[in-house]
Amino acid sequence: MSEHVTATYRVNSEGRTIAHPAHHTLLEVLREACGLTGTKHGCELGECGTCTVLIDGEPQLSCLVLAREVEGAAIDTVEGLEGRDLHPLQKTFADLGAAQCGYCTPGILMAAKALIERKPTPTRADVCEALSGNLCRCTGYIKIIEAVEWAAALCRGESGARPADASLYGVCKEKPHG
Amino acid sequence: MRNFDYYLPSTTSEAQDVLKKVKGARAKAGGTDLMGLLKDRLTAPDSVVSLDNVGELTGIKERDGGVWIGATTTIATVAANKTVHRGGEAVAEAAARTGTPLIRNRATVGGNLCQRPRCWYFRHPDYPCSKKGGETCYAQEGENKYHAIFDNVTCNIIHPSNLAPALWAHDAKIHVLGANGKTRDIGIDEFWVLPEEDMSKETVLEDGDLVTGVTYTPGGRSSGSAYVEVREKQSYDWALTNAAARIDLSGSRVKDVRLVISAVAPVPMRREDAEAVLKGKAFSEDLAWKAGEAAVADATPLRDNKYKVRLLKATVAHTLIAAAQRAKGGK
Repeated sequence: MSEHVTATYRVNSEGRTIAHPAHHTLLEVLREACGLTGTKHGCELGECGTCTVLIDGEPQLSCLVLAREVEGAAIDTVEGLEGRDLHPLQKTFADLGAAQCGYCTPGILMAAKALIERKPTPTRADVCEALSGNLCRCTGYIKIIEAVEWAAALCRGESGARPADASLYGVCKEKPHG
Repeated sequence: MRNFDYYLPSTTSEAQDVLKKVKGARAKAGGTDLMGLLKDRLTAPDSVVSLDNVGELTGIKERDGGVWIGATTTIATVAANKTVHRGGEAVAEAAARTGTPLIRNRATVGGNLCQRPRCWYFRHPDYPCSKKGGETCYAQEGENKYHAIFDNVTCNIIHPSNLAPALWAHDAKIHVLGANGKTRDIGIDEFWVLPEEDMSKETVLEDGDLVTGVTYTPGGRSSGSAYVEVREKQSYDWALTNAAARIDLSGSRVKDVRLVISAVAPVPMRREDAEAVLKGKAFSEDLAWKAGEAAVADATPLRDNKYKVRLLKATVAHTLIAAAQRAKGGK
């Protein structure tokens, strides 16, 4: 039985030639061989979505993909999101506090990026559907959804006002405790 | 997960060659089910044959009055395909409700039909259940909220594929390339195996068989189909009950009907008794509920899944009503 295979991967537009056991998943190769630990290791069975990366622009679960099968494909991870500045998604997630523990965030950012690129003006239903494979056990999702909508507006070149404060409890103009 | 030899053939016949020559080799399409089985050590093949590069197994084509879907076509492709939406509404709906967008981008039609059951005792490496060659079905006396309400004598798994009932409502045939190099078509009604018949597998496929695709019959002008699934969560959940129906109308009269239920037995089930309630009569919502009644008449629920009987009755009624609506032209 062959111990290792050698393959060349295109990760965040950079070629990397790596020797790894044939049965390693893309997630293992990204984290262990490439040192790209932004992509998280969650349930390992395709249930949580935190290992989401883009394969030729499509969001997929890196824990269920054998690395060998994406040789030659364009693989994008959260590390490649930032250009000269933060990506609008990173900016809006940070500004709105759309994370608590943050473990699900890399996967959500990648799924959201694919959505915005495919559909620059997503409806709220589109956002919910696109993120339906990404679990977040802290936030309650509202901030995440608003951050994606806001980032979409910024990507369209609109100034995009910050969503109303305290939206979790409806639009609240006055601070409850003065 | 144990290491394995990995093959990446580029044609169906090359894939077949490896499957035939390498003992115990497992075919792999999207892998969304197989990877889980490998990680949980429910299977540990020495060799895996990836179908990723076999281009001839991918695509959707109208062919001799049917619609052919290649085995490695992704579920996302089926859900978005215009040909499927036109005349194969149940198939499009079942595809759109499978897994999550992340799963659908990788999972395939062939894999969806051949996936192993999700029973938590079967999936748990520490339970030597009857499905894994043990002596006990732990669901019989254990936690059986999500288990079968029909054919639940020796093993209480439920059939996991969404596409199976929808494709059956459209009289699908499954195309198989055998180890002998010959192709054969298996009617979807003859594709499934009950635990009593063979505990070790869920389909009639033999070692070395390769599913190459499926062809279904799209509905015509006065025909409509629908797939309805009930689950606990709106996003990413397995069905508690589901049903698919195709109704051909002649005026308001039901000329022909297929009703297939699933997630309630080890195999998807066509319910001819319920079809008989509708056949030849003017369609009405009342009649759809009577058909729902007939569809659950012989249910044998377990301690924790009696709710499924009522749920299934409603699922059937809603499915028939949606299919009839489409047949009337309200697509």
